Amino acid sequence: MIHQILALTVKELKVLWRDREALVLLFAMPLFFILVMSWALQGVYEAGTRDRPVEILVAKAGDGKEVADVLEDLSGMEGLAWVGSVDGVPLTPERAEALIRGGRYDLALCLRAGLLGRSPAASGDASGPGPPAVLLADPAVNRRLLHSIQGSIQGVIQRRVLMARLAPLLQGLPDEALTPDPGLLETRMLGGFATGRRPTATEQHVPAYTIFGVFFIVLTLASGLLREKQEGTFRRILSAPLSRTALLTGKLVPYYLVNLVQIGLMFAVGWAVFHVRLGSIAALAVVSLALAASANGMGLLVAALGRTEAQVNGFSVLLAVTLSALGGMMVPSFVMPPGLQLLSRFTPHAWALDGYHDVMIRGLGVRDVLPEAGVLLGFAAVFFAFALWRFRFEPR
Amino acid sequence: MDSAAIRLEDLVKTYPAARAVRGIDLEVRQGEFFGLLGPNGAGKTTTIAMLTGLTNPSSGRILIEGVSPGSDPMGVKSRLGFVPQEFAFYPTLSALDNLRFFGRLYGLRGAQLAQRVQAVLEIADLAERARQIVATFSNGMMRRLNVAIGLVHEPRILILDEPTAGVDAQSRNALYETLELLNREGVTVLYTTHHMEEAQRLCRRVAIMDRGRVLTVDTPTALVRAYGEGLVRVEFRAGVGKALQDRMAELETVQGLDGCDRHWYLKTREPEGAVRALMALEEIRELGISSLNIMEPNLESVFIHLTGRRLRDAAREERTALEEGNT
Repeated sequence: MIHQILALTVKELKVLWRDREALVLLFAMPLFFILVMSWALQGVYEAGTRDRPVEILVAKAGDGKEVADVLEDLSGMEGLAWVGSVDGVPLTPERAEALIRGGRYDLALCLRAGLLGRSPAASGDASGPGPPAVLLADPAVNRRLLHSIQGSIQGVIQRRVLMARLAPLLQGLPDEALTPDPGLLETRMLGGFATGRRPTATEQHVPAYTIFGVFFIVLTLASGLLREKQEGTFRRILSAPLSRTALLTGKLVPYYLVNLVQIGLMFAVGWAVFHVRLGSIAALAVVSLALAASANGMGLLVAALGRTEAQVNGFSVLLAVTLSALGGMMVPSFVMPPGLQLLSRFTPHAWALDGYHDVMIRGLGVRDVLPEAGVLLGFAAVFFAFALWRFRFEPR
Repeated sequence: MDSAAIRLEDLVKTYPAARAVRGIDLEVRQGEFFGLLGPNGAGKTTTIAMLTGLTNPSSGRILIEGVSPGSDPMGVKSRLGFVPQEFAFYPTLSALDNLRFFGRLYGLRGAQLAQRVQAVLEIADLAERARQIVATFSNGMMRRLNVAIGLVHEPRILILDEPTAGVDAQSRNALYETLELLNREGVTVLYTTHHMEEAQRLCRRVAIMDRGRVLTVDTPTALVRAYGEGLVRVEFRAGVGKALQDRMAELETVQGLDGCDRHWYLKTREPEGAVRALMALEEIRELGISSLNIMEPNLESVFIHLTGRRLRDAAREERTALEEGNT
């Protein structure tokens, strides 16, 4: 039986090797997505970091120590780069607004003299000259990012305003007592990696589009089986002295191996091109083995249910794309409405991505990813059981 | 050992929508070249599917050299070589890869596999093209490879399901010669076809099947002697009424009448006399004849005698019924 399974596996791999379309679908497509999406969306994921600071125009209407003090405080904020002149010309509020409307910049901060002398009652006075600090924003700016920047600027100005108002009381205090203490709050990312490290675009896209590509094995496997049934080779194989278990095992093993090669290749590219930290290879392997099992189970299920090539193609693509979208491969599931987030838990994709993120971002090990691997194997068991129940060996 | 290579006893196969095989009793002797004749849908392919273990009978018994597939399925399958009607191989692989793969499924390995692959490549006259991708083969070469795969494990019984479909005359003759050679070497051959001339040339005995039943079994010569009246096939310009049908049936030289509407068969031992008598009928001159053929006694006329239909007509009817069933 082992020799027959081996013969089927070798034959299947040879047939697959000559099927250029299948190879493109299984290897080139997810690789292309990883490369393009990682590069294209790098700014979205890393905006506001030391390496990719958010550029903000700063326009002063009048000089003064208070404006200079506020600007000094703002320039010390990590992740923000302040631009005081464009094309060698210092900015005015009007020019800053024109640059944003022209699409060259997203944000501008306009500061006016008298910033710190403004009384709290003035904020409710509609006939007054307006607020001394205005943050202009392109409506397309990410709202989370905008709120974060807005809060930071507000904090800096508020601190300077308070210090100005309380100046008589603060006289005589040493300078250190009035300087902000950055040690008051420390952010710690949980897991085994260095503190303060955030997931990058590639850490999102490498596992996500690997999972996306893995489930395209459903199309290759199901259409391959259907073709064998239609072309008569399946009947011929069935007339040979081998069990149905050996036949199905021999048909599935090569696709399972292809899935593992796919995963290995995608992560290798992520590591080599984008320097993605992989974490525990053993833990990645555990998630990958379970993921490939569930993808193969789904492939056999589609092969069992599909009667025609059109049905098999339709089922496969529908499952591959919709489950990927639902499972958070294209859009992270945390931005989805609660109902969809709940629904995503019913896809193997979401569990596989969780498993990979546990390893790559949270730095967890084999034991920690066993729950995700267990759920993926559960999906595989359900798919295989249903597929074997519906699979027809007999000719019609 | 059972003297029969294949024995079928009251074999029945029922599908939810149809009863494909309705109780077949058949014996194929060791070393025999046996033909299973019938139109598409007669039950030949279902019978072969049961013989080769592709589907289980609903009832009845199969014995292959005295062994039931139920008691030793793998042993029985090892004795059989199966050549399906369609090209059942991998066109993107070479002939060598295909033969090695199917040989390995039958447990061949190493030197034995290499020797058998080489032997069947030579039988199929494909030795020089062994490493060529099969998709580049001509139709005849593909047909020969299809047969070669069925022979790679040196089966004692070879089952061929309409192996000459779509084959040109030259390739067909080459295939006949190969099969005759194998049969002379002791291989039992079960050959299904709806081409009567193939059966007449190749088969020692034939069974005629229609609508899931075996109608008769004998040598082609004996069947033609027993049932082989000559036939006059007539196509009229318009449908034939009851009165004219009665007049044709009453002709002295006509032993029987089959057909409907414009198409009729006159069974006769004197075809020329029957034609003269037919043309003498006044109603015929008024109705008009589109075509008229005299068929000498042969297996085709035996089939028409037994079923009342031509093989091709029967095949067309089956196809129509299937299409109507599908819609």
